[in-house]
Amino acid sequence: MDNSRANLLEEAVGISKGGRVVVVEDCVETSGTFVLYHFLKRSLHPDSSDVVIFIAFSHPFSHYERILRKMGCNLTVHRKNHRFVFLDMLTLECPDRNGKETRQDGLLALYGEIEKAVEIYSSLEGSRTITIMIDDISLIEVAANGSSNHVLDFLHYCYTLKAKYGCSFVTLNHEDIYSSANMLPLILQPEYFADVIIKAEPLATGLASDVHGQLTVLNKGSVCDLGGSSSKVRNFHFRVKENIVDYFYPGTQT
Amino acid sequence: MASSRPRGGSFSRNISSAATAQIPGVKLGPNGTSFLSSGIPDLDQILGGGFTLGSLVMVMEDPEAPHHMLLLRNFMSQGLIHKQPLLYASPERDPRGFLGTLPSPMASKEEKSNERPSEQDANLRIAWQYKKYFGEQNSEVQRGGKAEYCNDFDLRKPLERHFYSGQRVDCISLRDSPNLVPLLERCSTFSAQISKSDGNITCAGRIAIQSLCSPQCDFFDKDWEMLSFIRSLKGMVRSSGAVAVISFPPSLVSPAFLKRWQHLADTLISVKAIPDEDKELAKLLTGYQDMLGLLSVHKVARINTQVPAILEATTFSMKLRKRRSLVLECLNQAPVDGSSGSSYGTSGTCSGSSKTGNLDF
Amino acid sequence: MAETICRALRDGAFEGEHAPALTIKDTIDTPLGSFVFNHILTQLTSNILAGKSQARGVVLVALSRPPSFYVELLKNKGFDVSSSSKWLRVLDCYSDPLGWKNKLLERGTVRNPYEETLLKTTLCKNLKELDKVLSSIIELGKEIVEEGKGRFAVAIDSVSEILRHSSLPSVARILSHLRSHDQVSCIFCLVHVDLHEAKVAATLEYLSTMHADVEPIVQRTNGQRNISEDLPMVEQSFKRGKFHVRFKRRNGRVRVMREELYVEGSGIKITEVSSEDGITAQSLVPKVQFNLDLSEKERLDRAKVVLPFEHQGTGKPIQIYDGRKSLNESENEEKQASVEKPQTTEDSGRGEIIYFRDSDDEMPDSDEDPDDDLDI
Repeated sequence: MDNSRANLLEEAVGISKGGRVVVVEDCVETSGTFVLYHFLKRSLHPDSSDVVIFIAFSHPFSHYERILRKMGCNLTVHRKNHRFVFLDMLTLECPDRNGKETRQDGLLALYGEIEKAVEIYSSLEGSRTITIMIDDISLIEVAANGSSNHVLDFLHYCYTLKAKYGCSFVTLNHEDIYSSANMLPLILQPEYFADVIIKAEPLATGLASDVHGQLTVLNKGSVCDLGGSSSKVRNFHFRVKENIVDYFYPGTQT
Repeated sequence: MASSRPRGGSFSRNISSAATAQIPGVKLGPNGTSFLSSGIPDLDQILGGGFTLGSLVMVMEDPEAPHHMLLLRNFMSQGLIHKQPLLYASPERDPRGFLGTLPSPMASKEEKSNERPSEQDANLRIAWQYKKYFGEQNSEVQRGGKAEYCNDFDLRKPLERHFYSGQRVDCISLRDSPNLVPLLERCSTFSAQISKSDGNITCAGRIAIQSLCSPQCDFFDKDWEMLSFIRSLKGMVRSSGAVAVISFPPSLVSPAFLKRWQHLADTLISVKAIPDEDKELAKLLTGYQDMLGLLSVHKVARINTQVPAILEATTFSMKLRKRRSLVLECLNQAPVDGSSGSSYGTSGTCSGSSKTGNLDF
Repeated sequence: MAETICRALRDGAFEGEHAPALTIKDTIDTPLGSFVFNHILTQLTSNILAGKSQARGVVLVALSRPPSFYVELLKNKGFDVSSSSKWLRVLDCYSDPLGWKNKLLERGTVRNPYEETLLKTTLCKNLKELDKVLSSIIELGKEIVEEGKGRFAVAIDSVSEILRHSSLPSVARILSHLRSHDQVSCIFCLVHVDLHEAKVAATLEYLSTMHADVEPIVQRTNGQRNISEDLPMVEQSFKRGKFHVRFKRRNGRVRVMREELYVEGSGIKITEVSSEDGITAQSLVPKVQFNLDLSEKERLDRAKVVLPFEHQGTGKPIQIYDGRKSLNESENEEKQASVEKPQTTEDSGRGEIIYFRDSDDEMPDSDEDPDDDLDI
């Protein structure tokens, strides 16, 4: 109903095409999960036949289902129609009991499931983009008992699917966790891979009831397709509602 | 429709009774969630109804004051009164002894209603702001009859023995074991008992873990193990009809891990002591004499919704009413932020108070 | 001037010396290192195809980008990819560095995990065994040069990926082994320095004859990852950066080159910065063109300057003399005057000017022209 505003994020992110890596970063004060829901809804748009593989570490299916339903997107139906694959990793544990191997095996098995799903859906006829979404990366690290290298390995393997199948990625991570220097790789490595980085931060002036925070979108633009330096950076405020998120430039809110 | 509704409305919405009547002490909330009472009526109001069923509540302790114990006690007592199963873990040798210190609910309604006017006299402004809450709460009390959703507790009167001598009260000492595996197992059997069947909760349970990373525990330096425990607990609680409250001293967790803990929490609360006999604070805050400490709400559980909860105020003073029951009050004057210069103290508080409470005069 | 690098890589190793090595470093602030890598790879390739270079071919160790990326790159630059097997070998460490895909294939979870490319690639399924990686690099190189005499170039994109799986000493060992190998003409590699501790950058610099840094045009002052304040600057940093090369020359001198780098279309353009600029940049950190801030010392010095007030605010109220004595002041002065008089007579030899105003009624700064009664 209010397209011009809803599109501020879309405009900053650019036209959707396959094989794009979007990294969403947030902090304790301002959650960035709504950006994930935005991409989820957009990928499952009725006009397209795109598929989403959702790897959930932080919430059960019912949570996402309810939120997306309010946004006009029925995940249960999409699941039945083979457009939405939900991998519930809430209880995934890759403990370090028997040496290194088990820790890796948990993530290997997860990767196997992802690749298997990608293989099946990409073999179906029709052109479709498969989007892989991860909520969120810091919890993979907890599941892997703090071995960030294993998480990076896992992410690397996920990214390899981009080359062969043209998969897109949307991942969430918490930037404020990695403030100390020795923890940086897990936030920087995905940023090197990313085409678009979206950061959700609180306003410098604190929270207000009508402005929930600000988004900074860094669109590297040209890196993946070698064409033109179309990089752009945008910053705007947002307000999250149940069914829609308002985006507006500072001071232009009515 | 949802967008046109004022946002605050989703919190104070009082969804009624028919469904809730089945499970004692559980109230339906928005978005298909249910609430358990925290045992502190004011905290329930602040959080929009109580602790969300299936959420993980983390309380950041003040290393110098035991305010988190007040929260835990009320939380546990409330559950016992509703005959909800309880799991309590603490770094003490004898956690069961802690049950003897739980507060007992206030005796009668008359006493309460007598108290209120006097309290209103004492703190007119606060009473004015909370009037609507009190009204609502009374209606709840009357409707609920015997099993109230939320009791006022008399901190001086211990809970009668029969509430906890019975079944389904489980206590563990964190001190005995070198790792968190036994605790996790107990938690998982506990939450299996009260797990949802077909999404319908048959029974609500409470898990209270006191001072998870206290130095008495052998695992207190194993950051990843504790983190993974919290994550597993969160997953368990989420799929069952329970609320887990974990208190921990944040100063003992390294900063990077502290952020992770905070991210894992559905609801994040911190308690702070206030300095004794501080003349400046006494000038700044009305009712300083009666204050026990400060309570801040950093995060409110957002289950089944993407809308963040923006509270009108995030910092509250903890006071004892009549030296008995715990009340939370909006700060009349926000404490001066350490970063703002002292000479601007007065202007700083002005802006602070406009931030914390949207008082329109 | 970036040609200097390409020339050095083209000329390759001198007899009895180690092969020249180039390390390209970047950070997340200006993540343009991969563009530089591509640029150098294509320059070297055209040199090879033109027969100008010592190397007969390139062994590309692909770690952070898939072989298909390089197919696109070479196609875009107008190279004939189908005949590339004569001068290019790819060691594909990207697709399956830990053998996970192979395991899944064996377990039957997936059927066809690998990607086909037009390039001649060899798959590396265990990046952890660096010795095997080394031997396969050399094997691939020998395939290109065929007989024993020729040399080949090695391109590694990026060392950061290897460092995740192996320790720094073993990576250093591989690099120095490659440099000293008598069939290697030159090496160049990319590294994202902020993923590693400072020692890694230092080690790679030590091992290489040239190192090129891609730096932001304007250094971020606060050092924080807070970007919401300077959006235009961040936007710029994805398009252009400073290109700073240090070139260890054989005569023992270090040649420093400072250039600017633009991302342009499908490649990069490197322009020379005026030399004057380059020199000053060395000594100054050009935060802004103007020096707006005072250093701590300057601030202290400024505080010490004695300003020409009648007294320096030593407890007395500061008053600016307007020619009239205020009441209380004149009272004070009369008392003082009686005390001071003897002193002034004593050292009158110093000489002082005593000015008596005609009357206190006269306005000292009146608008009236004092000379208007003159007749000229």
